[in-house]
Amino acid sequence: MQESIVKFEHVSMQFPGVLANDDVSFDIKKGEVFALVGENGAGKSTLMNILYGINKPTGGNVYIKGKKVEKYSPSDAISQGVGMVHQHFMLVPSFTVAQNIVMSKEPKKMGIFYDLKAADKITENLVKEYGLEVDGKATVAEISVGLQQRVEILKTLYRGADVLILDEPTAVLTPQETEELFQVIRRIVKEKEMTVIIITHKLYEVMAISDRVGVMRQGRLIGVEETKNVNERILASMMVGREVLFDNIEKTGTPGDVQIKADNLYVADNRGLMAVNGVSLEVRAGEVLGIAAIEGNGQSELLEALTGMRPVARGEFFIQGEKSNGKTPGQIRELGLAHIPEDRMSTGVSLQSTITENLIIGKQKESAFSKYKTHLKQSSIARYAEELFEKFDMRGSGVETRVGDLSGGNMQKVVVAREFSFDTPTLIIAQPTRGVDIGAMEFIHKQIIAKRNEGCAILLASADLDEVFRLSDRIITLYEGKITGEFKAGEIDKMGISYYMTGDRSGGNGGQEGGAENE
Amino acid sequence: MNKLTTAFQKNRSYLTALFLSIVTALILGAILMLITGYNPLAGYAAMLKGVFGNSRVFGNTLAKMLTLCLTGLAMAVCSKAGMFNVGGEGQLFLGGLAATMVGVCLEGISPIIAVPLAFLSAAAVGGFYAWIPAMLKVKLNVSEVITTIMLNSVAIYLCTYLTNSGGPLLTDDRGVLGGTEAVPDPFMFSQLIPRSNLSTAIIYSAAIAFICWYVMKKTTMGLEMKITGENSRFAFFSGLKKDKIMVLAMVASGAICGLVGMFEVYGYQQRFMDSISNEFYYDGMLVAMIMNYNPLGIIIMSFFFAVVDIGAGAMELSIGISGELSDIIFAIIIFLMAAEGGITKFLNERKARKEAQK
Repeated sequence: MQESIVKFEHVSMQFPGVLANDDVSFDIKKGEVFALVGENGAGKSTLMNILYGINKPTGGNVYIKGKKVEKYSPSDAISQGVGMVHQHFMLVPSFTVAQNIVMSKEPKKMGIFYDLKAADKITENLVKEYGLEVDGKATVAEISVGLQQRVEILKTLYRGADVLILDEPTAVLTPQETEELFQVIRRIVKEKEMTVIIITHKLYEVMAISDRVGVMRQGRLIGVEETKNVNERILASMMVGREVLFDNIEKTGTPGDVQIKADNLYVADNRGLMAVNGVSLEVRAGEVLGIAAIEGNGQSELLEALTGMRPVARGEFFIQGEKSNGKTPGQIRELGLAHIPEDRMSTGVSLQSTITENLIIGKQKESAFSKYKTHLKQSSIARYAEELFEKFDMRGSGVETRVGDLSGGNMQKVVVAREFSFDTPTLIIAQPTRGVDIGAMEFIHKQIIAKRNEGCAILLASADLDEVFRLSDRIITLYEGKITGEFKAGEIDKMGISYYMTGDRSGGNGGQEGGAENE
Repeated sequence: MNKLTTAFQKNRSYLTALFLSIVTALILGAILMLITGYNPLAGYAAMLKGVFGNSRVFGNTLAKMLTLCLTGLAMAVCSKAGMFNVGGEGQLFLGGLAATMVGVCLEGISPIIAVPLAFLSAAAVGGFYAWIPAMLKVKLNVSEVITTIMLNSVAIYLCTYLTNSGGPLLTDDRGVLGGTEAVPDPFMFSQLIPRSNLSTAIIYSAAIAFICWYVMKKTTMGLEMKITGENSRFAFFSGLKKDKIMVLAMVASGAICGLVGMFEVYGYQQRFMDSISNEFYYDGMLVAMIMNYNPLGIIIMSFFFAVVDIGAGAMELSIGISGELSDIIFAIIIFLMAAEGGITKFLNERKARKEAQK
């Protein structure tokens, strides 16, 4: 148990202009669950990429099972027993589970022919051995995200991994699936003597699953602690470098008139299939309506339709009382709506443009920023950008930085700063803090509540249930494009709501089944 | 001056790479001359003499640079908004022909009226010819790359038909040479350097370049074009009229090409012939792409391109080194510049590694 299986010795990683890892030394013991936490850009992924052989450190050494790593490549790491499950799965959707598991080490007949039967057999054995239930003959595209993750884990196990790196494994899972994953981790650690390294920034998960935890900040290792000796608050302040105050966002005021209204709305997805099936909702001034749903249940399409980014197939919707079907995003904005899109990279910013340009767009024709709507007033634009840069606490080398060079958190702050500064009476917000670190998350949450308290009508969707619970006055659950439940804040807990998110309205029964399976 | 230094520092690695590519290409060119049995020093001396030797050849070099500069700028303008105009050659032909015919028809009228009308017609016809593929793109999502290439052939063959034997616009007094009637002398631009191709077109070109720069950098339109070109989904999301912006950029690009056609005729050719352009637009595109659509870079590169192009002709005449050498030198530069990103990355990583080891 005390034997060290991975050892980092003064590891440094210098990227052009960024010192991603700065003299990091610690070891990971055989048979433990080690959590690596830190804000975005703290260097935890870089460090794990070094262990997995993707990056070669510019200083220091890594030892795996007492042997110094000489050659950094994933195939060498795999042969040393290191396996990694990335945040974005590396599976072929049209292949079966078994085909994906044996990929790159396929069983062969007579040395050349792919032996499909043997692949199924291998999968069956692996499933039995590790107790990770999954159907080897199903195609990956058909199975849920939680199961796909199991396939990824089985894939690394098949290649002989006994050190498993999981990069943000719960980001895409429901609370139930997360609990199941944790069961799996506990089992493989206990029964198979595996070592698991889990990268995360959800601190309650650290507390729930890990034996020890390492905290990173700005490329340096701040400390390694026994999990039982710390709590979430201590970890948060280690990560951010100051006290993080989470729960004191005060909500004031009472809801006013209806500002956003959808009436029996149907919206198709990119493949032309109906993703939103008859959704009706109302959002009033001074309230946050949260949408709780597992990804792919129509929430993205719903919000895109309400902002004009996607056509409505049937039904009507109203922004500020005005019927808005068929309007462009520009026309809907004019009615008084601002929008934080789900995917900031593809929709929310222009990566090649500067922070200033990204902040001013949409306002460029206002008289404060241009003469006769044509000639840009460069100096007042610069001043305005500086102001927002300060106010929204962006970090970086100034407003002339290209947005593509910013971290996820800072990029999101640019989007939030721009959209919030339109001062609209309605806001539609999707995934406001996806991939954003704790410090920025705290900040963005405060801004959202401030908007709410000012009387803004806010429709919010997030894959992070904590966020939905924290910010919303009312919550609706969506499943396969239909509303399956509506609750007032405080009426229901996270476990309870997840049954509605999976389409099971009965609540309690699902809980018992889930519990039984876990035992 | 301060601004210039920061601009330089921003692009330092790029400029260094460009400089190194040019030097490498010239060295490889020298090696080629050695292999084929020529003295590279004499070769390059002949090249320089052919370009800077007297005011006439220098004027020709500047005239060539002008054409490249404007066509390159035309390419840069549309690519800013995310459009790829390959049809500049056709727009140049039609614009040139339109301006010529306006000049021919208005013989006897004051140049103060006729010449602006010629400008207008060249820009309008070139712009319209770019408007067609732009509309197809935004309305029906037809790739503008394909339509502009096809429209090139249409324009060029149409002009060839119109101005050669059997064509309605053929002049009576030139026989097999073909071409339209000559533009009346009073309408022609004045020569800046006697007997060279350099005319006052250089002033108009500078004005066009200035307008392009001003619109791009100083106006809301330029900002909207930039955003649309970089992320059209973001532009749509932000409420910009992205279709309008894309069409407008394409039309502007076509209009500039039309004007280039006019400048060829009014600058020195005096009549429209189907040899008006020897793939000038493709050269300009190349320059623009090598320089990453950076306007200042396009001006610098156009000059270099013109020097090698004109110089290679002189080399062939005076020493007999094949004119294709200039093509080879350019191919090498383009090849190295295409690899620029990779080379810069490699150098940066090596530097970082060294720093870390200290």
